[in-house]
Amino acid sequence: MTALIVGALIAVAAVVLVALPFLRTHADDDRLDAPTPAEELRLALIEERDHALGALKELEFDHRTGKIGDEDYRSLVGPLRRAAAEALRALDRPQELPGSTANPDGG
Amino acid sequence: MADLGRAALVVSLGLALYALIAGTAAATTNRRRLADSARNALLACFGSTAVAAAVLATALARHDFSFTYVASHTNRTLPLIYSLSAFWGGQEGSLLLWLLILTGYGALSVAVNRRLLKDLVAWVVPVIGGIASFFAFVLVAVSSPFDTQTRPLDGAGLVPSLQNPYMVAHPPMLYLGYVGLTVPFAFAMGALLSGHTDERWIIATRRWTLAAWTFLGFGQILGAHWAYVEVGWGGYYAWDPVENAALMPWLAATAFLHSVMIQERKGMLKIWNMILVALAFELSVFGTFLTRSGVVNSIHSFAKSSIGGWFLAFVVISALFSVVVIVWRLPLLRARTKLESALSREAAFLYNNLLLVALCLTILWGVIFPILTQLFEGQTRTLSRPYFDFFLRIFGLPLLLLMGIGPLIAWRRTSSRGLLRTVRWPAGVALVTGGALIVAGAGSSTPGLISYTFCAFVLTTIVVELVRGTRATGSLLELVARNRRRYGGYVVHASIVLLVIGVVGSSAYSTTREHELRVGQSMSVDGYTLTYQGQSTARGADNVQTNALLSLSGRAGGMLKTGVYDYDNQGLAKAVGIHTNWLRAEDLYVIYNEFDKQTNAIDFIVLVKPLVNLIWLAGFVFVAGSLVAIWPDAREQRRLAARLALARA
Amino acid sequence: MRNPARLIVALAVAGVLAIFLLYTALGGDSMPLLEPSSLPGHAGTVSLTGKVVGPVAGDAHSSSGLRFGLHNITGTSGTVPVVYHGALPDLFETGRDVNLTGQLSNGSFLASQMTTKCPSKYTAAKTD
Repeated sequence: MTALIVGALIAVAAVVLVALPFLRTHADDDRLDAPTPAEELRLALIEERDHALGALKELEFDHRTGKIGDEDYRSLVGPLRRAAAEALRALDRPQELPGSTANPDGG
Repeated sequence: MADLGRAALVVSLGLALYALIAGTAAATTNRRRLADSARNALLACFGSTAVAAAVLATALARHDFSFTYVASHTNRTLPLIYSLSAFWGGQEGSLLLWLLILTGYGALSVAVNRRLLKDLVAWVVPVIGGIASFFAFVLVAVSSPFDTQTRPLDGAGLVPSLQNPYMVAHPPMLYLGYVGLTVPFAFAMGALLSGHTDERWIIATRRWTLAAWTFLGFGQILGAHWAYVEVGWGGYYAWDPVENAALMPWLAATAFLHSVMIQERKGMLKIWNMILVALAFELSVFGTFLTRSGVVNSIHSFAKSSIGGWFLAFVVISALFSVVVIVWRLPLLRARTKLESALSREAAFLYNNLLLVALCLTILWGVIFPILTQLFEGQTRTLSRPYFDFFLRIFGLPLLLLMGIGPLIAWRRTSSRGLLRTVRWPAGVALVTGGALIVAGAGSSTPGLISYTFCAFVLTTIVVELVRGTRATGSLLELVARNRRRYGGYVVHASIVLLVIGVVGSSAYSTTREHELRVGQSMSVDGYTLTYQGQSTARGADNVQTNALLSLSGRAGGMLKTGVYDYDNQGLAKAVGIHTNWLRAEDLYVIYNEFDKQTNAIDFIVLVKPLVNLIWLAGFVFVAGSLVAIWPDAREQRRLAARLALARA
Repeated sequence: MRNPARLIVALAVAGVLAIFLLYTALGGDSMPLLEPSSLPGHAGTVSLTGKVVGPVAGDAHSSSGLRFGLHNITGTSGTVPVVYHGALPDLFETGRDVNLTGQLSNGSFLASQMTTKCPSKYTAAKTD
């Protein structure tokens, strides 16, 4: 008898949980809140910025710990700084969506 | 009671299917409420599976022998802890445990990431739902733990060698690992299906993957320790298919953990990472197929079971699915940058990956070799220890060396001059160590000597890295806190070094001696003298214990007991005697081999296993390193949240 | 260097294959895995798997060895007489499934290594 009751309770609880989202909100805001293509593009640029800044930090650290010599450091730091600056500039620029669907990985 | 269990599993199946179908519909049509509903279904599935699990656990605790499963794996005299651990002692129970962990992990990972990755998670839910549906289906229709029978007076009991604390912990730990690998797989598929193949899915699943990998690794060490103390042949790993079934996904996951670092930094190896994560997942399910289908001859071989076919079908279908999805999304997986130099940290990670995958695949080849020869030649042939040991050395030694060189190389590129400069100290220490070892007599084993030299190299690299880093940042704690993954990783590397030292010491440099002793007689092995004092017999709960007592002198003192237990209706099992010499981290391992009734002499097999305890220590260091790497980083969390906020601004 | 990654991978795959081919060419050391019914006629060292049948006599440690019979685990087969010298594995008894390494000699299987299969944790397939 208890088994039957518990079983019924589980089934009811499951149905309630599954139906809950439909009972709570209106059908109006039913869109999956995914980033829009414009937001995707921005996200990609932000990641680009973080990568560039991260690479720069790593270069500094490797130089300080002696993994990279002064010569190698000098040759590598310039391009990295430029890449970081460019990424920061790109973020500040108003983003234009390319004609076709945006590829977030900017290939 | 069994009805409740069965009903709960049917509910689980229904919910999993709903998560699969509704989740797919929601993701394709972009409907939020349906997606939320599918996600809730996963949570509810965990709930109903938990109820089923509770039913089984209660039946086991109560010795309810009307459950066929309970009767087959326990009996009245079994202590509670072993009655409960019988949950995963049999096929049906293990499957239930798998489903429980899967739905638990699934529901949690999806809940945690639901805000940051809504679009991706919408696809993750049906993937997990699909996998859960398979397991639930098998539990409902093929192999149910809730079959009943007329209640017998007593159950069959648990195999004596499994009545051991390690065997209580080993399977759940392994399952937390195996099943845990489903999460990165599901997120990877989610990333592909949703079209968002950037690094977000990697960052989201990073800790899950690390945790699963840690459980899998530690679970294997537990298993090895059990084999060492319980099975009693003096070894801890036999390249048995069941053991390899855990090692292969672990190797694939290790490769994955390294290569994602390249994807995160350089946007490279995206396709490779997708393949790796799918490989790790498929290997974990394939391993289950191998061990349960009876298809491969193993010391652990279980009787041929019907679920083998189902598992094989699942592996094939899920593998095909992964391939199709990866190929479909190939255009999105183009690399952002290229490898700049063969002498760079990126390249080092690539070499590491190649070696790990090569080792993984050669082990896989060795495992399925009997199946293939049977299929194509009509005759079963097996590959054994020499094959596996050979390839372990061929791929393992360079891997070990790479563990030492990799950290010394800079990102992007390092000049050979620069590398020579940073490698100075570790190479010097290694060479000195090698020389010292030769003098100490370790030259008796060339692979052993090479391994130890490489270990010294790696350990010095780790120390050098810590010293240089501390100098640069000013504080060791600050250094580690700022880069937990790297330094946690170094601790894990140190644990691997300990493991290698322990394995090499206890195999390449161990001594074995066999001798028959009468009471009062002695034998000497490697500086230990053992004197047989006599034996006694006593009645245990379900066995008759015969123990021989030996007194030790020389390198160790005290007494050592080794014996043989005659289990009622099961046969004889050895209870080896182990004396640990903590100073040398070595074990004196004594096996009671044979009793000669005519002469009253006992044939003892004595092994001296140098440094074997470093293997068990390595297990703890491994977990410690992983914890450092896994530890949540508030700074990183804030940065990720800020990213999303900025994108939406 | 233009894109060393591809070159590295190609070289690596070639290297692995080369090692592999060399190893298997130099005598792989795969061993036939047989059942008692398929044993007759096989020369050389083989791995034999079967179920122990009584009577079990002798002593694995003595010169005449431990003697018992072995037949197929599933299905019918004749019984192969086994003579075993070596350490007795755990839980050895009549009815246990064992794996032996040795060779056929004068109608008997002379074995030097034996392992018992961990008694089945998993029950056999249920036939409906």
